[in-house]
Amino acid sequence: MILNFFDQFLSPSLLGIPLFALAISLPWLLFPTPTHRWLNNRLMTLQAWFINRFAFQLMQPINLKGHKWIMLFTALMLFLISINLLGLLPYTFTPTTQLSLNMAFALPLWLTTVLIGMLNQPTIALGHLLPEGTPTPLIPILIIIETISLFIRPLALGVRLTANLTAGHLLMQLIATAAFVLITMMPTVAALTSMILFLLTILEVAVAMIQAYVFVLLLSLYLQENV
Amino acid sequence: MPQLNPHPWFMILLFSWVMFITILPKKVMKFSFNNEPTSKSAEKPKPESWNWPWS
Repeated sequence: MILNFFDQFLSPSLLGIPLFALAISLPWLLFPTPTHRWLNNRLMTLQAWFINRFAFQLMQPINLKGHKWIMLFTALMLFLISINLLGLLPYTFTPTTQLSLNMAFALPLWLTTVLIGMLNQPTIALGHLLPEGTPTPLIPILIIIETISLFIRPLALGVRLTANLTAGHLLMQLIATAAFVLITMMPTVAALTSMILFLLTILEVAVAMIQAYVFVLLLSLYLQENV
Repeated sequence: MPQLNPHPWFMILLFSWVMFITILPKKVMKFSFNNEPTSKSAEKPKPESWNWPWS
């Protein structure tokens, strides 16, 4: 069996036991459940600060009925950001590179927002298919375009996260392999490649956080339209 | 591309949702601060205006 660069994305298994369970369940050890202490330690304070500020920021543009979603969105944000960041460590498996996981979250949540809109306020929900101020002759084609863009949303949501993380990891592996191979032949070029790898790693940290945020932000926007 | 391999799709889906539904809500809810701390005095302190001491 020839190893290729895509093999890092295979769902890991050891002796036939799927390790995906470990990859998904162990990140939560980094978020200890807070007790009823009045004063927490630094880690708990930082996490509480992050979670509460994030919840506040996310729910600001949404009306009161949409505030029921806050726990779901915050939990999703924690889920994605910790999995993405932990996947940047060497030899770890990133579950969010799996299309199945991302589509598993994107499709049901998007569908929920659409159904909420269609069932509670169908006129407004359908009204979103026609932007305001459209010239009359363009109306039929624009409704078709907006419907297509509506249905492509879950696909885009899932594939965006998958593709960004997959591409980042692949690129890191490629450049690292190049630097490693070049060390014996052309050490200066290997040093330059290592510099590029360092910069790429910083970029990947940013991408990991941004992609998690964008996923949750877009879902909150879809909720805003429909709730 | 191994991500398109249909074999572990359903298990991944199922397991990630199980994790998401069982473990995370309890953790996230515990971070919420439900009770406002009450101060000892009954009257609210007068808010002082900020007068930009460095300018």
